[in-house]
Amino acid sequence: MNLAIFNGSPRNKKSNSKILMEKFLEGFFKVSTAEVSTYFLANTKHLDEHVKAFKDAETVLIIFPLYTDCMPGIVKEFIEHISEQEAQSGKRVGFIVQSGFPEAIQSVSVERYLKKLAERQKWDYLGTVIKGGVEGIQIMPPMMTKKLFLNFTELGSHFAETGEFSQKIIDDLKKPYKLSAGRILFIKFGGLLGLTNFYWNSNLKKNNAFENRFAKPYA
Amino acid sequence: MTITILNGDNKNGSFSGKINSLTGELSEHHQVHLFNLSKMNLRYCTGCWSCWWKTPGECAIKDGADEIFRSVISSDFLIFASPLVAGFTSSALKKVQDRLIVLLHPYIQLINGESHHKKRDERYPEFGVIVEKEQDTDSEDLQIVKDIYDRLAINFHSKQRFIKFIDEVNVLDFELSNAVYQN
Repeated sequence: MNLAIFNGSPRNKKSNSKILMEKFLEGFFKVSTAEVSTYFLANTKHLDEHVKAFKDAETVLIIFPLYTDCMPGIVKEFIEHISEQEAQSGKRVGFIVQSGFPEAIQSVSVERYLKKLAERQKWDYLGTVIKGGVEGIQIMPPMMTKKLFLNFTELGSHFAETGEFSQKIIDDLKKPYKLSAGRILFIKFGGLLGLTNFYWNSNLKKNNAFENRFAKPYA
Repeated sequence: MTITILNGDNKNGSFSGKINSLTGELSEHHQVHLFNLSKMNLRYCTGCWSCWWKTPGECAIKDGADEIFRSVISSDFLIFASPLVAGFTSSALKKVQDRLIVLLHPYIQLINGESHHKKRDERYPEFGVIVEKEQDTDSEDLQIVKDIYDRLAINFHSKQRFIKFIDEVNVLDFELSNAVYQN
């Protein structure tokens, strides 16, 4: 298989999408020596090159973070350009959507869009992997990311073996679809203990911006 | 009422002409700010989080988008306008939509049992979506676009009042929304 992976994170090489992509590839290369090329859509100057790479690949994965309930603008621009090309019947295309929000329900509308896009372009749709709760993984202790990374490694191995996403892993990564009762309680009462927004507060404090956190410069 | 229109037409074709006419009609009774996004040379959000944890509420990219942020947050109504391109509103519009995150707070709160961002400002404009069909647009496409903007509305403490094709939209759609504000 000749595989091209497009990373659609505006954060480019510092992205959480890149970390997940690397875990996927770690698993992929455990069982395959296939040629894989990776591209970063944040390098918008290379758009023509990206479009050509898409056109030339047999199998394509596009990974991006959820931005305002949909794909980031740079990914939309890429989609517009590949859609202008003649439809490539049978091209195999899959997606990975990751979000900061913990629950998968936030990403299912864009999933419907991606499925319809594949249909319109006559691609062979490989499905969409949805993973929430990804913001902050770069500072989490290893025990908190262990299962996530293992899932992505196995997703990669399975993909190398079968050319498809494992439905079992897709289902596992999609959890929680909605917040559990326990999680809801945590958000409701964790706020009183300063737990809910710990990640944001520690970053605000680190930047000496905590006191100013409710500023409204455009109001 | 005050209305902001974000026009994401990147072909500057008949769609923009129709948005201009609509703006003219609405201006007879309302204060309307029209932004033709593809003429503004705006940059993409880089996910730097400056607006959330370095300079709270302020975007680090100085490219004139602050005019849009000021207009949106002081409006009663916001229009996302764009021809459909590959089944969704244009990248020119999505670019600006991404950057509207500056108007929200990073803190998480529960809305309908889901996690969403807290308000930064007291009130946010309700919105309407105006699109133009592509050759192959069907009812499923429109439903997907509507559902994505409904989700955006939850995150922006707002409501989507309508989604319409440019040829079907008229000032009455705005009057109905205006009535909501009067009450």
